Amino acid sequence: MWSRKSAMLGSLAVAMYLLGLTLRNSQLVTIAVVIFVFLTWAALFGGHADVAASGRRADEWSGEEGAALGSVVAMRKLSSARMFEDGELSVTLRMQNTSSLPKILEVRDRVPEVMRIKEGANYILMELGPRRETFIEYTVECPLRGFYSLGPVTVRIQDPFGLFHKEKELHVYNDFLVFPKMEDLKETFVKSRVPKIFTGAVNIRQPGPGSEFYSLREYFEGDSFRSINWSAYARSGKLMVNERERDAVSDIIIIVDSRSVAETGPVSRNSLVYSTRAAASLAKYFLGRRDSVGVIVYGDEVVSVDRDTGKKQLYVILTKLAGAVARGNIPLQVVVNRILPHINKGSPIIFLSNLEDDPTIVNALRDFRARDFDVTVLTPSSLEFEFDAKRIDRTGYEVMKTERDVLIGELRGLGVNIMDWEPDMLLSTALAGARGF
Amino acid sequence: MVVSKPSSDTSHLYDGKTVRSSAPSRKKAAGQLGIGSEIPSDAIPNVEIPSFIESLLGGPLVPKMKFLPPDKMVQNLQVAVYGVLVGLALLTYMISPPEGTMWYILFGSLAFANIMQLSIIAGATVTGFMGTYKRDARFSLLSNTLFILAILRFASSKTSLSNDLFGFQDNPFMLAILVVVYSVLLIMYFELSNGVIRYSMLDTSIRTNEVYVMNPKKIVGKYHRSLVINPIIATLLAWFVLSANTILPFIVGIFSNDTKVRLQESVELTSVYGVALGTLFVFIVVGILFGLNLPTHLQRFRESRAE
Repeated sequence: MWSRKSAMLGSLAVAMYLLGLTLRNSQLVTIAVVIFVFLTWAALFGGHADVAASGRRADEWSGEEGAALGSVVAMRKLSSARMFEDGELSVTLRMQNTSSLPKILEVRDRVPEVMRIKEGANYILMELGPRRETFIEYTVECPLRGFYSLGPVTVRIQDPFGLFHKEKELHVYNDFLVFPKMEDLKETFVKSRVPKIFTGAVNIRQPGPGSEFYSLREYFEGDSFRSINWSAYARSGKLMVNERERDAVSDIIIIVDSRSVAETGPVSRNSLVYSTRAAASLAKYFLGRRDSVGVIVYGDEVVSVDRDTGKKQLYVILTKLAGAVARGNIPLQVVVNRILPHINKGSPIIFLSNLEDDPTIVNALRDFRARDFDVTVLTPSSLEFEFDAKRIDRTGYEVMKTERDVLIGELRGLGVNIMDWEPDMLLSTALAGARGF
Repeated sequence: MVVSKPSSDTSHLYDGKTVRSSAPSRKKAAGQLGIGSEIPSDAIPNVEIPSFIESLLGGPLVPKMKFLPPDKMVQNLQVAVYGVLVGLALLTYMISPPEGTMWYILFGSLAFANIMQLSIIAGATVTGFMGTYKRDARFSLLSNTLFILAILRFASSKTSLSNDLFGFQDNPFMLAILVVVYSVLLIMYFELSNGVIRYSMLDTSIRTNEVYVMNPKKIVGKYHRSLVINPIIATLLAWFVLSANTILPFIVGIFSNDTKVRLQESVELTSVYGVALGTLFVFIVVGILFGLNLPTHLQRFRESRAE
């Protein structure tokens, strides 16, 4: 393929040649001829002008690659196919020259735009000897969750003057998954009022078998002798027993707003990023205490992960969260109408949204509250993200902030546990704030 | 005059207004913003629109990359450019007398044309030095353009010299060599000045870890070899092309001696048209070679030979 330089030189030569013939000026013709010869030599013996000569496009062409680039083979190995945000991925690219001739190659391994090269380089200029192979190692940092793909490997050969080059994409791809990073939570203050039959590690604010103190009551026949509270007996003169709070598993529903408005703000600091991280942390915490966790992600469609327990469920949830893309504008009311018949009454519901651009939010959350669901809303503020990034001015910020405060106040009035989640606030702090601690 | 200062209290904005309970609409809010709430400049994304010249050249003239101080390779290339530049300036002056330049045709004054021609050559040399020293592609491009402008002549078919120091004017063979050498120097100047920029970029990329170069000596060595071999090959091939007026009669002479003599005495063949004819023949052959896909066959041959 012609480079810009060769195209300019070629044009110059043609212009000089025609001008020289027109003006009968042998000097101009001579200069043009020398430039032609220079270009022809580079094209002919650089071995890279074949595409231009054949009149075929590079992507339609396979024959020449058999001679020039067909003998170059690439293979790639990743240190891991799954990782968490801010994790590092070591890539080993193995380049082989199966030909008997040495080749000077430019190799670029295409890395997703959001990734940062931490060590090494994905762009290499090298001389690959005959029947030799070399390993190129580099490390990329993966700051954002998602499904990613490394590749293709672009190989280029060009003549020393950069007049003609030939490129080939070696379609070697490696997919990997970046999960949202998780925060370790000690306490979420979210408890179910509706127990399930299996005993678990969660207090559900009902008396029953458990470890946490619930209340005192009078002794009845059949009560365990060990549960008598002797101090209370001494004070009141009546036999009193300690009642304990019942431990049981709960159904936890996490709703993540991934509408297009959720991505308002910088790429690495927006509502969707915070919501997915929070959902992952909460899922890990609840699954860790043997709760059953279901996740609903809505944007242009409603994607749900059915309630389940265990490590496998965590992996399924993380995968869904990794693939959440800010798209569409489904109102929350649609989501609520769809899921309401399928969730147990009274289950804790955690809703993660920036509460923007959806007039149905109040009604939808009212529907939950009317059915006695324990609703917690964590709302990462897009306003703060945008204001921090200096994308909105002070007046605009004040206006919208006030509107947002009014909305939050209204939701709080419905009995929703809500917290305006500021960018620098830890998830545990935001949760505690939402639950009134 | 009383200037009202902006207050941090914005409660007055809501007096007598119905406050919506739904989520705020960014668009609507933006529409409601009053005077003095212009969009901050850093909120507008930077859009790089190439200028007309840049779009012609297919990219920015000035690379965004700030070059690190030149390494030895770049310094050597700079020295080579300075050498070639001096030689090129002298030869340009020698083979482009003011008669026949556009200045002479436009103004009819030999002195003015001479001054203009000297100014253009001096300008080309100075900008060439600056472009190479500062490693700024804009100056180099300007220098290239000025050199091309200097060589444009609208006059005779034959080469004439403005300063015949070595007495070449009466020797057509030496004149032809001089023009070929000039042409090779011109193209080498283009290449070397471009090489300074290319290798500065590469060197900076290597030192900032953007590119990793394995075995750089071999890669640089190949470039150095090409800097020597390519001009020699270009000179020989160009000489072959330009010798049509001697080669053609020789070939024809195998079949007919009379035609050979007539060809040798032909004015057309010794003029620029003879050169054009030679070029035509040679490039027809080159075209056929490309049509037969010679580069591929050559590559395959080299591969099989290496087996």
